[in-house]
Amino acid sequence: MNDLNDISQEEFEKIEAYLHGELSGDEVVSFEDLLKTNPEFKTKFEDIKAVLTGIETQSMKEQLDDFHNDVQSSESELIVNEPKVRSLQWKKIAVAAVLIIGLGSFWLFNGSSNDKLYSEYFLPDPGLPTTMSSTDNYEFYEAMVDYKRGKYETAISKWESLSKAKPNNDTLNYFIGVAHLANKNENLALSYLESASKNLEFPLIDDTYYYLGLAYLKDGNVEKSKESLEKSTLENSKSLLSKLEK
Amino acid sequence: MREAYETNNKLQVVNAIKDNDSKILRTIYANNYPKIEALVLKNNGTKDHAKDIYQEAFLAVWQNVKQDKFIPVSESSVNGYLYTIAKNKWMDVLRSQGYKKTIVASQLQHFEIKDEENNGIDDDILKDKRLEDVMLAFKNLGEACKSLLRKFYFEKKSMNLIAEELSLDSASTRNKKYRCMQKLRQIVLKN
Repeated sequence: MNDLNDISQEEFEKIEAYLHGELSGDEVVSFEDLLKTNPEFKTKFEDIKAVLTGIETQSMKEQLDDFHNDVQSSESELIVNEPKVRSLQWKKIAVAAVLIIGLGSFWLFNGSSNDKLYSEYFLPDPGLPTTMSSTDNYEFYEAMVDYKRGKYETAISKWESLSKAKPNNDTLNYFIGVAHLANKNENLALSYLESASKNLEFPLIDDTYYYLGLAYLKDGNVEKSKESLEKSTLENSKSLLSKLEK
Repeated sequence: MREAYETNNKLQVVNAIKDNDSKILRTIYANNYPKIEALVLKNNGTKDHAKDIYQEAFLAVWQNVKQDKFIPVSESSVNGYLYTIAKNKWMDVLRSQGYKKTIVASQLQHFEIKDEENNGIDDDILKDKRLEDVMLAFKNLGEACKSLLRKFYFEKKSMNLIAEELSLDSASTRNKKYRCMQKLRQIVLKN
């Protein structure tokens, strides 16, 4: 790095083109020849290479705190860690609820067949286990307790205030969506569930598509409903889909 | 067919990392952090420790992929590699002087990685003195040059696009880039 000013623009651009693989075959040969025979040029080359790496690395480093905003809560971790508990509860409650709703729907619902199907299949997500001791997401789980008690409005308003800080949090979007749906506001549910379904890595993606399908069904949009249900691997999705196809 | 898919998939991850595809990098970052945080919290660290260690590891993985020192076969091998590097780094911290006094050996039992497994995996390019100097100089470079160089070398935007953004012709843009490089190298020299 001693002879700073003797890298000309031309030399610099040549080195850059070489590093980016933009030289032709002949040019590469003569460039590499120069590297071997001219130690001064070799020094300049190493210098530019280090500077380019430094620019890139510092730029990346400056992005990481922004990346970190996406992960500051460990909600998704909790979901990943507790699938067993969750699915067991799900099955038990699902069996019970399908029985109740199935019996109930005989006399309660006289609407169209799609409404009947919706009622037959809709059951609010059981929610996440609320063990608060070791979590800093106190507000999130406090709302979860409201949700589980059926106080959907309260849960929604708490989650929505959290969501202002983290508009792209898929777990929040999912539960706000499901709560709106449980609260019979399928219109409001749609946009939240749509956003939650944007992240294919989301651990609850199959549930998201399932509820999205239900929301569209309730909204009278059968085509959209089928589209979402097709993306979900849940058994309920498949069976609802097969009934819609009839 | 399956093989073709896997090759394609592998290339995608490698190319995304090499191109600094921020969407993919962001996903990799977010997906792997919780595991590292859990590890550090379980082993006498705080959330801030976890974040620092994780970001160092993330940069090292990113650089190693760029320089073909590590060639991932899939996204999950990136995840495993990232975890191992972060774990090694946290282990190094725990072994360092400051920690030795306060931590009893038995508290380290969570770590099952043997020493020989660490060799060669974490040849940390970030400890290179020259690179550190350039990074510091670039950090403190004036915003106009900084943003120009960032567009070229990090965002990898084309010359034409950048020239258009600056409302300059491409010859002036190239000259500007050259002068910014000179300025940056001057700061590195001074330090």
